[in-house]
Amino acid sequence: MNTATGIIKALNSGIKHLAIKRFTLRYPEEKLKFVGDGYQFDPSTGVGIAGYKGRHMLFHDHCTGCQLCSIACEGVAEAIAMVKVPEEHKHNKKAIMPQIDYGKCVFCGLCVDACPFYALYMTNDYELSSFSKEGLIYTPAQLQVKPFVSQDSEIKITDRGATHG
Amino acid sequence: MNNELPPGLALQKVDERIMTLNVGPQHPGSGHMRIIVQIDGDFIVACDPDPGYVHRGEEKMAEYRNYITNIPHLERPVIHDSCNILYPYVLGVEELLGIEVPERAKYIRVIASELNRCVYTMYWLAIYGIFLGHSTMFMWPAGDRELLIDLLEKMTGARVTHAHFVPGGVRNDLPPNFEDVCLRQVNYFEKRIKEYAAIFYDNPILIARTANTGVLSRQDAIRLGTTGSVLRASGVDYDLRKKEPYDIYDELDFQTNVLKEGDSYARSKIPWLDMMESCRIIRHALQKMPKSGSVRVKLKPNPKGKGLDSVYKRVESGRGSLGCYIVSDGKPEPYRVKLSVGSFRNLIALPYLLKGEKLGNMPAVYWSLNYWPVEADR
Repeated sequence: MNTATGIIKALNSGIKHLAIKRFTLRYPEEKLKFVGDGYQFDPSTGVGIAGYKGRHMLFHDHCTGCQLCSIACEGVAEAIAMVKVPEEHKHNKKAIMPQIDYGKCVFCGLCVDACPFYALYMTNDYELSSFSKEGLIYTPAQLQVKPFVSQDSEIKITDRGATHG
Repeated sequence: MNNELPPGLALQKVDERIMTLNVGPQHPGSGHMRIIVQIDGDFIVACDPDPGYVHRGEEKMAEYRNYITNIPHLERPVIHDSCNILYPYVLGVEELLGIEVPERAKYIRVIASELNRCVYTMYWLAIYGIFLGHSTMFMWPAGDRELLIDLLEKMTGARVTHAHFVPGGVRNDLPPNFEDVCLRQVNYFEKRIKEYAAIFYDNPILIARTANTGVLSRQDAIRLGTTGSVLRASGVDYDLRKKEPYDIYDELDFQTNVLKEGDSYARSKIPWLDMMESCRIIRHALQKMPKSGSVRVKLKPNPKGKGLDSVYKRVESGRGSLGCYIVSDGKPEPYRVKLSVGSFRNLIALPYLLKGEKLGNMPAVYWSLNYWPVEADR
């Protein structure tokens, strides 16, 4: 008797789920919304600003070629290499800027914490797949481009269960 | 000559009744490890767990990196519980460098580590469900985990491997309006996990399968040195959050869950009960948290220890006591980092639990140990 009621209760609990909303996120059509414009760091206070740790964004007008991001990445992923850039800036005498290999990057964001000149931030872009290994290496010119992201799905909690509306 | 070979490869005398069976390392039911079982018909007469297939040399790697760059790789052993595996390391480095952590950072750490404990436990519960043949219990926790992963992603910026804790606090402050979102989703999460009782924990089929299998008595649990949910399921009230409170756990209102049976059912129920306590801790911490203030002490990018010094810190992770022993010799790199993990200590109980069980009960006993092979191998 006890066993029978237990099994009926278990079945009943499953049947209730026919009526609640679908929780699945239909990924390529719908994308999750993130907080802010990506992980940033404020060197004056020494505290980061919450955001998604995705692909980096490099501001050429702030980068001085000091290599601190490259040094921060040593021992973590060694994904950052300093390369020559054609453009000339007064504050960047050596004309070198970081180039990031996303085949190695672990997206920890310690390079963003290391930058004292507000030049390196992270963005919400996480779709970085490529057909070749070379395609994963982002040059300073590619890192300069602000990614286009359309992410609008959020978890909504309704009376009929949670859903990605 | 036979003695020189590793235990699994040695030639053995063929017995008429006893058969040796290798479960794993490719078998999905064993994780990244091998369990050598000797069976007589359907009954296990001896069992020899053989971990070490995913050894990554984390401890040796930590000797070549400085105190900050150790953070991303030290959380790799358990990516679902990455805040908790970093916790003892960060607490230890803070004591070595003599840093005082801001009050708000301590609360953020506790919230992050409790969320992470729930994320790990849900993943474990999904695996436990599928290996008992309960597909619903695989789908529900895997879906409901998303509620907490979403919160962690808002907090730290990554869905797994957050790299959020640093010596001196946390990397970034909470995003605006986080408290409301967190409270709403944690309340809904608690409501959801209570529904698991009817379909899983009170289900007579599960009870028939797991009750009275792999019984670990109270004396044996203490003698074998098990920790965490395995120890608490055997009737020993031992939780490091209560016994050695770190950060602000002594100010929060929660209780530990203890069951006396010591069988697979009790061992699988304790983490589920702990998740409800975690929800209580999160709610209480959100209530008591200072509304503003610093979250990180400014540190040099390459901090150094003060001469020859050593420290041992431990926390309660999703799998039991997780300790970190750090030796400093005054250089930017630690001289030695030793991780003492709960998974490895709980595995010691496996040969004692499986003796005399049926082979079909092996997944029920093995996964109830709350064992994570990658963490045990480090």
